[in-house]
Amino acid sequence: MTQILQIAAIAVATLGTSAVTMTVMKEDIPDLAVPEGGWKTGHELDGRSFEILGTDVASGAVLDNRITFRNGTFQSTDCQNYCNFGWSDYQSKVIDSVIHFTARTVCPDAPHTVVWYGRVSGDEVVVDGTWTTRRWYWTNQIVITATGADAPVAGDGASG
Amino acid sequence: MTRTGAGGVLLRLAILAAVLALATWGVHLIRDALDLQVRPDNEQQIHQAIMLGSVAYVGLLALPFVPGAEIGLAMLAAFGQAIAPLIYVCTVASMTLAYTVGRFLPISALERLLSFLRMRRAAALVARAALLSPEARLAMLLDGQPKRALGLGLRYRYVALALAVNTPGNSIIGGGGGIMMMAGLSGIFSPLATFLTVTIAVSPVPLAVMFLGLQI
Repeated sequence: MTQILQIAAIAVATLGTSAVTMTVMKEDIPDLAVPEGGWKTGHELDGRSFEILGTDVASGAVLDNRITFRNGTFQSTDCQNYCNFGWSDYQSKVIDSVIHFTARTVCPDAPHTVVWYGRVSGDEVVVDGTWTTRRWYWTNQIVITATGADAPVAGDGASG
Repeated sequence: MTRTGAGGVLLRLAILAAVLALATWGVHLIRDALDLQVRPDNEQQIHQAIMLGSVAYVGLLALPFVPGAEIGLAMLAAFGQAIAPLIYVCTVASMTLAYTVGRFLPISALERLLSFLRMRRAAALVARAALLSPEARLAMLLDGQPKRALGLGLRYRYVALALAVNTPGNSIIGGGGGIMMMAGLSGIFSPLATFLTVTIAVSPVPLAVMFLGLQI
């Protein structure tokens, strides 16, 4: 075998071992588990917006955010600012006059997936969420809980 | 061993244990002070820092007499078990790179390259090795060992290589990168067996962090 072939074989072995190592050793973290059943294309919350104050459960960091619903789609201002998530379809259902909603949003430029699950009762909202980043070398997840209240919709451009 | 001699050894061990305990405590203090949390607003910067650190780690660890392992330990300390697979992969890549350079780059070119990089000790190591037989180059890895150990080292050279890479204080003989480069230069280590040896030899720390919850 020529030297070049040997070097190529070593490189392939290194890359292959790396790939296998990452596949076997890298732990995935599942997205937020949203309760199943009865979800329909969202429309109950269209035209509404909420100022929410959340907490990163692990670090205790405070997250100030706004979520907005429009034409069956959902947007988080922070997500939009961080990674240009855009507008994503949301689903909803009503149980005992509490509007439940969920949305799964994906950053187009980076491997971030955010799953939202919220309950709107009157003017108040409670939100749970996970921000999961799946890089090739690790999976990192930020678990968020937040509460908030109805806020005036600032118009179509308010999403950031 | 005399009573005085045994007392001296015990005293040294106690001092070593105290230094290790202090160093561990210091690392935890630094980590707490840094308060490194991955958040949506800094994840991209942390990702870039990890990529840059990984490239630096692979490059520096492959160089003789360059303390690159500390970068890996620092990353493990900062990010914990989540980063262990990456550190393992980078360590294997780095050791393999050093071996490949030693094995396939002409020894004169390697010496010139290290001199160009102002790595005088590494260049001197290669220059010394150039004059020696393959067995004598391996003996350099086991510098200071008794003759019986040298014989065993030659016979079980892959075990000796794994032990040398993991021996604390191996920076005196070139560190992991220097040892692997010398193994390549010796010409008595086959690429496949060496690669398998490396994959096993560098696994203890990342595996301990990953599966046993070892905290650095």
